[in-house]
Amino acid sequence: MSWKRYQNELIALGAFVVMLGAYAYKHNQVTSQAKEVQRVQNSLGEIKEVIALKKVWANKKTTKKIVALQTLIPASKVKWSKKSKKVTATYTGLSSNELNKLTTKILNLPVEVRLLDIKKTGSTYNVEFKCKW
Amino acid sequence: MGNNKDLLLAHSAMERVALVESVNVMLTPQFYTLKKEALPVKYAYQAKKIAPSLFEGLLEEGGNYNYMVTKEEDTWAFIAYDIDSITVFLESKGITLEKVSKIFFAQQALSSFSSPLALNEKEALVALDDTVVVVPRIALGNEEEPSLVFDSSFTPKRGVTLQGSSSSVLTQKQALSLAAVFMLFAGMFVFEGSRYGGENESAGAELESLYESYPAFQSSYTRQGIVDKYRTIDTKERKKRDAIKAFSGMIFKGVTLTSLHTDEKGFQAQFSCASADVAKRVKELAKKAHYNTAKVKGSTDLRIEGTL
Repeated sequence: MSWKRYQNELIALGAFVVMLGAYAYKHNQVTSQAKEVQRVQNSLGEIKEVIALKKVWANKKTTKKIVALQTLIPASKVKWSKKSKKVTATYTGLSSNELNKLTTKILNLPVEVRLLDIKKTGSTYNVEFKCKW
Repeated sequence: MGNNKDLLLAHSAMERVALVESVNVMLTPQFYTLKKEALPVKYAYQAKKIAPSLFEGLLEEGGNYNYMVTKEEDTWAFIAYDIDSITVFLESKGITLEKVSKIFFAQQALSSFSSPLALNEKEALVALDDTVVVVPRIALGNEEEPSLVFDSSFTPKRGVTLQGSSSSVLTQKQALSLAAVFMLFAGMFVFEGSRYGGENESAGAELESLYESYPAFQSSYTRQGIVDKYRTIDTKERKKRDAIKAFSGMIFKGVTLTSLHTDEKGFQAQFSCASADVAKRVKELAKKAHYNTAKVKGSTDLRIEGTL
């Protein structure tokens, strides 16, 4: 068999193969582009999430804000210990109102609550609180 | 093209040959009809269009004729040839189509016929009045003894390619049309494909600017590590706060919080309820928040707990 006998078919076939190759190229470009878009979007989402989470849970202003937990309650009722980024506090004889104010403040501070122990003794409350940030 | 191949002179009295490689074939006037005309046309394709009318009445009926036109000084040389009969003849001499690279006509090599060329013992090819013809050797004078050696130097520039049309499904025109359509689509696909490379620049630019601001986040492992760490903290702390808020919502008339304990594993609260109805209401609220409840023995107190 000589290719010359099928020269016309070969010309058409060759062009068809080129077209297929071009289609494969386009398809590959579209697929890889979609993957790239997905990758970029994922990275963007991840970074934004990291930034947002760090802004909340690794906020440098938290150290200043935590002092409010000590000043909110009369000093006579508070036993305060702060080491580095950890606080251990013991509150005794808190009224319902004081307890309410304290828990509200704790809930609004971006700290990891390691322990919050509230016990009613008579008409007052004793609170043990440990946190870090 | 094809000039590097051997040139075989095909004439009606030739011997059968056995070919290994493909060859070019030069046909003697026995296989074509020549006509010269001075026509007021400039280009060969224009001359070729009127070729069939020039040969009207000159060619045998029923032949599948093709035409070749060449320019010779002031005139146009028209060659009419029947490709089917040529093919049949060549195959009868052992020259199959696949072994034929190109076909030429002796007239095309007019300038090479400076002296007679012997075809066999009886015939010779000579150039007479600018036309290559087959003549009996007997007609040649003593000074015109055939002395020319036929070789590939006789190969003209232009030749006819045998397309093996008998086995081809497509004509050359159809093949070229199809190829043009395919190539057009190929071009469109390549163009479209290349366009995709330039999109999504804005997201990429935003990402780059974030990388510049936070170089540590360039590594996906680092990012994932940080995300995992803070996501865990965020989830746990939100659960703790939600629980405390839920417990606050359970304090109403007749309900007193007696204890609340929250650590890194879970949370637990105990409520003192004034009556069984109040306890029931608190229990419903706890169930709504999907917390576990337990009654304290010997009282209407209720213990509610959950894990992080």
